[in-house]
Amino acid sequence: MNILILLAACAGLLALRFVPKMNILGWLVGWWAATFVFLRWGINPPLPTSIQGMFLAILTLALLAYISANSVHFRFVLDRAVAFATEKKYTVALAVTLVLLPCLVALRVYFDITEGPAPPLSSRTIHPPPPVSIEVAGRMIDLVNDDNPYRALETEDPAAFAEHVANGRRVYYENCVYCHGDDMAGDGLFAHGYDPIPANFQDATTIAMLQEGYIFWRIAKGGPGLPSESTPWLSAMPAWENFLTEEEMWDVTLFLYDFTGHRPRAREDHGGGGDGH
Amino acid sequence: MEGETVIRNKTDIAIRLAACRARRAVGRFSRSGFLSCVLAACLGVAGLPLAAWAQPAPDLGSDEQREAGRSLYMDKCAQCHGDAGQGDGVAAPFMRPMPRDFTAGVYKVRTTPSGQLPTDDDLARVIRDGMPYTGMPPWPQLSDDEIRNLVYYLKTFNADFSGPYGVPDLVEIPDPPSFSEASAERGRAVYEENQCFDCHGMAGRGDGPSAPTLQEQWGNHIRPADLTKRWTFIGGATRQDIYRTFTTGLDGSPMPSYSITPIEDSWALVDYVYSLSQDEPDYATAATARYAADPVDPAQGRAAFGAARGAYFPVVGQVIEPGRSFMPGVDGVEVKARYNADEIAILLAWNDMSAETTGENAPDMAVPPIEQVVRDTVASVWSDAVAIQFPQELAPEGLPYFLFGDAGQPVDLWFADLASGAGRSYVGRGSGNLIAGETAPSVHATYEDGEWTAVFAMPRDERFAEGAFVPIAFSVWDGFNDERGNRRGITGWYYLYIAPSERPSPVMPMLRAGGLTLLALLCIVGLMRFRRRTPVSA
Repeated sequence: MNILILLAACAGLLALRFVPKMNILGWLVGWWAATFVFLRWGINPPLPTSIQGMFLAILTLALLAYISANSVHFRFVLDRAVAFATEKKYTVALAVTLVLLPCLVALRVYFDITEGPAPPLSSRTIHPPPPVSIEVAGRMIDLVNDDNPYRALETEDPAAFAEHVANGRRVYYENCVYCHGDDMAGDGLFAHGYDPIPANFQDATTIAMLQEGYIFWRIAKGGPGLPSESTPWLSAMPAWENFLTEEEMWDVTLFLYDFTGHRPRAREDHGGGGDGH
Repeated sequence: MEGETVIRNKTDIAIRLAACRARRAVGRFSRSGFLSCVLAACLGVAGLPLAAWAQPAPDLGSDEQREAGRSLYMDKCAQCHGDAGQGDGVAAPFMRPMPRDFTAGVYKVRTTPSGQLPTDDDLARVIRDGMPYTGMPPWPQLSDDEIRNLVYYLKTFNADFSGPYGVPDLVEIPDPPSFSEASAERGRAVYEENQCFDCHGMAGRGDGPSAPTLQEQWGNHIRPADLTKRWTFIGGATRQDIYRTFTTGLDGSPMPSYSITPIEDSWALVDYVYSLSQDEPDYATAATARYAADPVDPAQGRAAFGAARGAYFPVVGQVIEPGRSFMPGVDGVEVKARYNADEIAILLAWNDMSAETTGENAPDMAVPPIEQVVRDTVASVWSDAVAIQFPQELAPEGLPYFLFGDAGQPVDLWFADLASGAGRSYVGRGSGNLIAGETAPSVHATYEDGEWTAVFAMPRDERFAEGAFVPIAFSVWDGFNDERGNRRGITGWYYLYIAPSERPSPVMPMLRAGGLTLLALLCIVGLMRFRRRTPVSA
C-alpha cells in the first residue's frame, strides 16, 4: 500500500467538494479517476491488470446504480449524454471520441497479444500445520507438549539462560545470517536469489505468532520437511539437523526471540494466546 | 596501531601502503601543533601551515553517546566486526571481503585523502547504505542519532581519531557535469593511460592480469570491482561516488587514489566507467527461447543468439547442504536460448575474474562440510564449470528439489567442465545421488575479457513444446574459489519460455475489437439522434 497515493486520491476527491457548480457527472468522473489511480499506483506489490479491471468494472456498475437510484441525477446524466450525441457544438468532440475509443480498445488488444504469457504462479501455504512429533538425531520430540527445554532458565537461572542465548547468537551468525539477514529482516546477502524469500523474523506475523516447537521443527527439518502444500522443494531452508545439535537448534530459537524482542506464542493450556511483547 | 600492521604479500599493495604511511607522516609533521608552529615562526620560516592554529578539535561525542553506540554495536555489529572491533566476530571467517578491523583505523570509503581517517559523515554513510554484495548490509532502520552514536563508538577503537589526525583534510568532490557519450569515449583513453585494466580488465569485468594476485592489507585475496555491474560498487553507484572512489582510493585494499588532471579527464573516466553498465541488474524470472529455422552451431557463440541482453538471473551461494559456499565467485548468469524442430540451444554467459582451465570439476565431487579457503597460490586445482538443470518430467504436483532433484522427481543435468569443454549429462535424485545420463550435450565455451560464454545444444524433446514454460535452474563453479561439487553458486527455479514459432498476427483481433466498439458507439449515437428528431409524444 502506497499511503501517499491513497492520500493524494482522497485529497483529489476532497478538492472536488470545493469546485463551484460541481455536477453529478463531475463526481462520477472524479470517483472513477481516483479509484483508478489508487488501483494502478497505490498498491504495492501491484495488482494484476485483470484484477484492476474487475474492480473498475464493479465500480462502474456501482456508479451506474447510484445515478439510476435518483431520478434527478439520472435525468441529468441522460440529458448530458443525449446533448453530447446530438447537439452541433459537440460535433467535433463526438467525432474525436468515435475515433479515439475504438483505437484505445485496439491498442489494448495489441498489448494483450504481444506481451506474451506470464510464467505460471505457484501458491503455497506459508504456515502449514506442524506434525505432532519429529525425530531428531534418534530422539522423538513432542512438538505439541514439549516446550523449549531452556526457556524455563529465563526465570530460574538468568545467567545460564544468557549463555544459551549467546550460543544461539553464535549459531545464527555462523549459519543463518546469509539469508535471514544481520537484523533478521529476511534480507540477507543471498535473499534475492531465493523464492520464496527468507522469513522476516522482525515481522509480527512470523515467530511472534508461533510456538517455539514450531520454530524448532522448521529449523530441524527445513524445506525438505515441509508438507506438500507448502511446496517443500522450492524452500531454500536447510534441514539443520544435518549441521547442528539439538541444543544448538533450541538455543538459536531462544536467540531469535531475544534479538527481535518478540515472545513466543503462549500455549493454550497456559491460559493465554497472542504475541505479548 | 599502524606499526602492528603486517603486510604478508609483496605485491604493489605493500609499496602503496608504504607510500600511504609516508604521506601520513608528512601530514603528521605539518600538523604537529603549537610547538612546531611557534618554532617555525621563531625561525622565520615562511609558508609553514599556520592553519594548524585554527585546527578544530575532533568531535568524539559525549560519554552517553559513546555508551549508547557501544550497546548498539554489541547488539548489531560485533557478530562480524568482533567485540573489540578487530574484525574477528563469529561470522567473519566466512566473509570475503572480511569485516573491517576498526582498530587499524583504515577505511575504504572516504572523502579524505588516501592514508587519512574518514570523516564522521563517511562512517555514517557506510553504516546507512552498507556495501552491496558484501557482508556489510545497509542499516536504514537505524535513526540518524543511533548512527551518530555508533560512529562515536567506532572512533574509540583507534586512538588516531582523538589525536591530531582526528580532523582529516577534505577532498572536494565537485558536483558532476552532465553525462556525455563523448566524454565517456575519451574516458576510455584515460582508463588505459592510468592502467586501470591491470586489475579491472580491458572490458572492465574485474579480470585484469593482476586480479588473481591482489591482496588487501590483512593478506586476504580481494577481487577488483566488476565495473560492468555498477550495483555492486561498495562505494556507491552514482557518478559522484565513482569520482570519489578513484580520487580517494579504497584504503586497505589495492585500489590506490588517483589524481587525474585536468578535471575533465576525471569526469571522462567517471563517464566511461558509468557507461559500462546499466543502473540495476534487472533480474529476470524467465528466459525466452526463440524459434530459428537454421541449425544451431554452438561454435558461433553469442552471434547465433542476437544482440539483445538475455535474461539475467542472480547466482547465490549454495548454503543449504553440507559443503556450503558462503562467498561464490559468480553473482549472476545471463541466459539466451533458441530452438528449431530438432534442437534446443542455450547460451549461458557470466563474468569471471579468471578462467580456470586446468584441473577438473564435477557436480558430485566430495567437499568437506565446512571449508575455509585460505588461498596462497594462483594455480587452480579445480576448473570452472557450469550446469543447467531441468525437471525430468513436468509433474503437476510441483517441482523437484532445486538442488539436483529428489528421490520422487529426478532432474536432468547438462554439465560442462570448462577445462576440457566437453559436455556431460547426469540424472539427479538429490546432490548425493547423481548418475551419468544417456545423451551428452554438445558444448562450446569461450572465455574472453572476463566473460565465460557456454553454448549447450541438445536434441529437443517433448518438454520443450512450443508455448511451454519449462522450469530451469543453473549452477556455476568458480575454480579460483575452490568450488566443486556442492560448493558452488546456484540459482533457484526459473522458467524457460519456448516462444511459439508462429506468432498470431494481432491485426485481425485489433480490427475486430476496434470495429465492434465503433459499431456500438455508432448505434448509441444514432439511436439518440433518431429519438431526438422524432417528436416525442409526452
